[in-house]
Amino acid sequence: MGRIQKKGEKGAANNFISRNVAVRKLQISLAQFRRLCIIKGIYPREPRNKKKVNKGSTAPRTVYYKKDIQYLLHEPILQKLREIRAHQQKINRAIGKEEWAVAKQLEESKPEYRLDHIIRERYPSFNMAVRDLDDALSMLALFATLPTHSRVIKPSIIRKCARLISEFQHYVMITGRLKKVFVSIKGIYYQADIGGSDITWIVPHPFSQDTPKDVDFRIMATFLDLYETLVGFVNYKLYSDLNLVYPPKVKDEESSSGLAGFTVETVEGKVLAGSDNASAGAVNRKQRKEVEKRVKSIADKIGEISKKAAAEDGEDDEEEDEEEEDEDKDIPNAIVAPTDASEMVPSLRDAAKIVTGSSSHKLFHSCVFYLSREVPRHSLEFVIKAFGGKVGWPETSGAGSAVAEDDATITHQIVDRPGATKQGTRDYIQPQWVYDCVNAGKILKTKGYHIGETLPAHLSPFGGGKEGYVPAEAISALAVSKGIEAEEEEGDNVVGGIMADEAGAEVTEGADDDDDDVEDDGEEEIESEEEEEVYKAELEAEAAGLSYTEYMQKKAAEGKTTKKPAEGSKKRKISAAEAQAAEEKALAMTMMTKKDRNLYHKIEYGRKKKEEEAQKLLDRRIAHQKKEAAAKKGASKEVTEKKPAAKKQKKI
Amino acid sequence: MTKDALDEFLSSMDDPDSWRSVLNKLEGENIVLSDNDLEMIQRIQKKMIPDKDYDPYEPTVEWFTSKTEVMPLSAAPEPKGRFIPSKSEQGQIMKIVRAIRKGWVKTKEQKQLEKEQALPKFYDIWANSDPNAQDHPMHIPAPRMALPDHRESYNPPVEYIPTDEEIAEWNALDPELRPHNYIPKKHPNMRSVGAYERFINERFDRCLDLYLCPRMIKKRINIDPESLIPQLPSRKELEPYPTSLSIVYEGHTARIRCFSIDPTGKWLASGSDDCTVRCWELLTGRVVKSWKFDEPVMDVRWNPNPAFSILALAMENDVILINPSIGTKDVTVATDEAFANIWNKESPTKMEWNKPGPADFARGYRVVLHFNKSVTNVVWHRKGDYFSTVCPEGGGSAVSIHQISKKQTQHPFKKSYGLVQKVQFHPKKPWLFVATQRYIRVYNLIQQDLVHKLQPGVKWISSMDVHPQGDNVIMGSYDKRLCWFDLDLSAKPYKTLRYHKSAIRNATYHKTLPLFASCSDDGTVNIFHGMVYDSLDQNPLIVPLKSFKAHEVVESLGVLHVEFHPVQPWVVSCGSSGDGKFTLKLFS
Repeated sequence: MGRIQKKGEKGAANNFISRNVAVRKLQISLAQFRRLCIIKGIYPREPRNKKKVNKGSTAPRTVYYKKDIQYLLHEPILQKLREIRAHQQKINRAIGKEEWAVAKQLEESKPEYRLDHIIRERYPSFNMAVRDLDDALSMLALFATLPTHSRVIKPSIIRKCARLISEFQHYVMITGRLKKVFVSIKGIYYQADIGGSDITWIVPHPFSQDTPKDVDFRIMATFLDLYETLVGFVNYKLYSDLNLVYPPKVKDEESSSGLAGFTVETVEGKVLAGSDNASAGAVNRKQRKEVEKRVKSIADKIGEISKKAAAEDGEDDEEEDEEEEDEDKDIPNAIVAPTDASEMVPSLRDAAKIVTGSSSHKLFHSCVFYLSREVPRHSLEFVIKAFGGKVGWPETSGAGSAVAEDDATITHQIVDRPGATKQGTRDYIQPQWVYDCVNAGKILKTKGYHIGETLPAHLSPFGGGKEGYVPAEAISALAVSKGIEAEEEEGDNVVGGIMADEAGAEVTEGADDDDDDVEDDGEEEIESEEEEEVYKAELEAEAAGLSYTEYMQKKAAEGKTTKKPAEGSKKRKISAAEAQAAEEKALAMTMMTKKDRNLYHKIEYGRKKKEEEAQKLLDRRIAHQKKEAAAKKGASKEVTEKKPAAKKQKKI
Repeated sequence: MTKDALDEFLSSMDDPDSWRSVLNKLEGENIVLSDNDLEMIQRIQKKMIPDKDYDPYEPTVEWFTSKTEVMPLSAAPEPKGRFIPSKSEQGQIMKIVRAIRKGWVKTKEQKQLEKEQALPKFYDIWANSDPNAQDHPMHIPAPRMALPDHRESYNPPVEYIPTDEEIAEWNALDPELRPHNYIPKKHPNMRSVGAYERFINERFDRCLDLYLCPRMIKKRINIDPESLIPQLPSRKELEPYPTSLSIVYEGHTARIRCFSIDPTGKWLASGSDDCTVRCWELLTGRVVKSWKFDEPVMDVRWNPNPAFSILALAMENDVILINPSIGTKDVTVATDEAFANIWNKESPTKMEWNKPGPADFARGYRVVLHFNKSVTNVVWHRKGDYFSTVCPEGGGSAVSIHQISKKQTQHPFKKSYGLVQKVQFHPKKPWLFVATQRYIRVYNLIQQDLVHKLQPGVKWISSMDVHPQGDNVIMGSYDKRLCWFDLDLSAKPYKTLRYHKSAIRNATYHKTLPLFASCSDDGTVNIFHGMVYDSLDQNPLIVPLKSFKAHEVVESLGVLHVEFHPVQPWVVSCGSSGDGKFTLKLFS
């Protein structure tokens, strides 16, 4: 017979340790424990069985994984923290004795700790570090915008944050890894694809933040400490992977903080600034061509081996020669750093692939922008440059502008204030156009974005809310992306919006429909009647106990079989078979176990709530569009009475 | 000689200089202070130099100057020490130099350099890392922040803009309960977007979440809710069962508490709160006979023996056996003969079997049994000779068993185990099922011992029925549950079903078909297929077949009783029909 096992010596009871016990075991103060937890990434756990862990009590109690705390016991930083504490006591004593010289000397020799090993320990691989970058970048972006005189945080730290975040953004910019941008009421969200994982960070709007009273900046500072180190190492890795020197040199720290201020150098010492410094590129062109030839010859060889595209390759050669001149402008010189070392060739190819891989990177490559002083320069500069555009701004916004305001090559001027004097043939557009273009992945029409016009809604590229409602604007965008010819009047047709809404609901439900119903009949009365019928049918289906998905599927199936049925057939009645099915379901539900029944009701409740929410949004939209249409009608009537000639223009 | 105070006063009044005179204690005489003295005293009081002629700021006379004089005051030569470096100082310096050389002490520059050279601030920390490194198995990564949706946009679609009521509702909510931590707002252009005032708070909350929030892995189930509903065999294969309403029996003016279908299936007797018992022809709904009493009728039961026609009624403290004389003449005569014989016999028990008077006899009364407590339940043994009654308040004699042929009454239990709700005879064995509030006890009446004690785990048992084969029992309870017991399997229910919305009033088996039914205060009658198999390794099959919304709920009472036809797949229920009438309904 084995030994009798005592309670609380094995298993869950022994795997967890409460916070107080942990603090006592480590012999540190709570504040130091907090600091350690933040740095080491130790967090409390919710044990699966609270009673077993808590000695039979269910009282709320913070517990940590015991091994985490045991690892902490050997943590070098813990030792350093103790040293720092002892040292501080020495300083305090010297100050108490008024031994200023001693105190000063002690102050100078204060022990410090580094977080390198923590970064390596928490993120054993680079990919893992990238995964955790979201919070780090958002935090740095926030601290970069804090006022330097705010006293809560040292100005040097704020400068460091600003530098790190702009270094990262600069990397994203020159490699064109930016994917999505979203201007929200909280700030501007950016999403970039780093090493295959999407990093999303938020940058607050460029206004001074007032520091709230109920925020403990010591905690924030500890996090900031960690995040600074993390982002620094990540930046180093990102730059060095591109064969660039890190940290990049800052041209003139005072005048141009931000993206334009960096001078990026390759390891070999070649200067290449951002993507707009053409002079540096000219120097390297000869060497580059040599390298490209090498690359091409290798590619040709590969092509011969593959035997597939051998003939095509030959033809393409000529075309590519012609295109070379264009490509010179597109590919940042930094990446194509010349070298005659043959080992460099693969890495060069990789780098070129990174840049030219995404076609959307060239989105703005034929555009030249000029930013007025009232638009957020840093954000727009970042976005435009990341998508290959050229951008200039007035002196007052900072140095480093690529074009002057009276430059004839400027295609778009971004303004956000009425009454700007217009010059040349350039388009005067509001900043939202740039962001919408990026999210749409193509150059949109500038109609609706001009100054003084009502802007179309700015939608989140990250998708809608939980309720599964898709607004009409998103549907029309989806239809366009699917290749369906969008009418000239984009979305300002009432009927189109409603119909598209219905289709959108189906898309979210997963039913694959073929958007053929984006057509405009014109008469609202008929449409509203149809709506009512649809609503009635929905009600009937609900009475029959059909779930919404079933109903929608059924509806989709009906729509497919009879594309445009007669008006009468739309009025459906619950057939006997349906009623029987509903009854059978109700009966079968009596046989459900309590657990299953509760789960079922929970799921149904959630689904219904979502549906209600979506329906509410849809109703509100319809009501709004009806109101707008009525207003339009009234207005057009007045116009027709006064000026019959204007009718054609109004009736779009 | 010393003066006293009076003398002193008098002399001071005489002497004009007394105010400026001071007693010199040493000499013992008064000294008159001069004007100079007084001035000096005043200067001292003002903290000035006493001598008024002293000038503290008179120009200095430089006796020894920094200028080298042609004729110096002292002719001593410069000491040698002034030209030789200090030995002790050199010792001290050498000590430091040696310490620096040996690295014991570091200069500021050295320290700075060392710090910089120790490790570059950033370097390739993942130089030789395993790119496929995995997290620690116990590590739970923090979930990422939710990505923003359309409503967070600075210029969202119009439908996302909340109304004033919604904003008020949002403000009234506890911050933790709000679906979003911001109010969507439409800005006409980007320049009108201001700073978000809670930005720092939100970042701070995220920080707190990261290091304070307990983490656990929650598996998110992604199942089709329809898959949770059990797949049942087709109802078509399980026919026959009642499917529709056929006959409504109208006539009672108050709540119908009980009814019973006679073993031939021709007659239906119902007892009601209007103190009547009506005998209906089942197929036509015609009232054949009716009796009027003084008290509401609690229970009506036909004798299960088709050779006799006896109706047992329970009302208040009486149990009356009636010969309704509605069947064939043979049966009526046989019944009367059976009753006529018993009066010759001596009753061995204390219970009085009363012979009704001639008037009552003419109405059909044959035997009247009088109890001390009110009787709620009458149950016949399958052979029709015995019947059992229940007086829940009767204590030890709550259950009594009566034998007609011997005109005797027995109280099988001396002790009460709780409030007896129902009793039931086993269809084959000499067993008696006694349902108290919580348990069902099964007694062997011959061996006089407890066979089973069924534990349904419900709060209050309302009804009970035994399967015609005797191995299964169904039980309804006031807390909405219906339990199916398999006596061979366990004392715990084989299946507990909870589908009624209020208390179950009755649960009953069909005598010949695999059906059972339950009725409830929610006004419904539910019919189930309940197949019992002969082989022991097969569990009973329970399939819901039909749910009738049979009656209206009046004063929170719905269907009070339900019973199957003895042969046909028909079911009868009693309750209100909503318009103040009380009816019985037959579903076929």
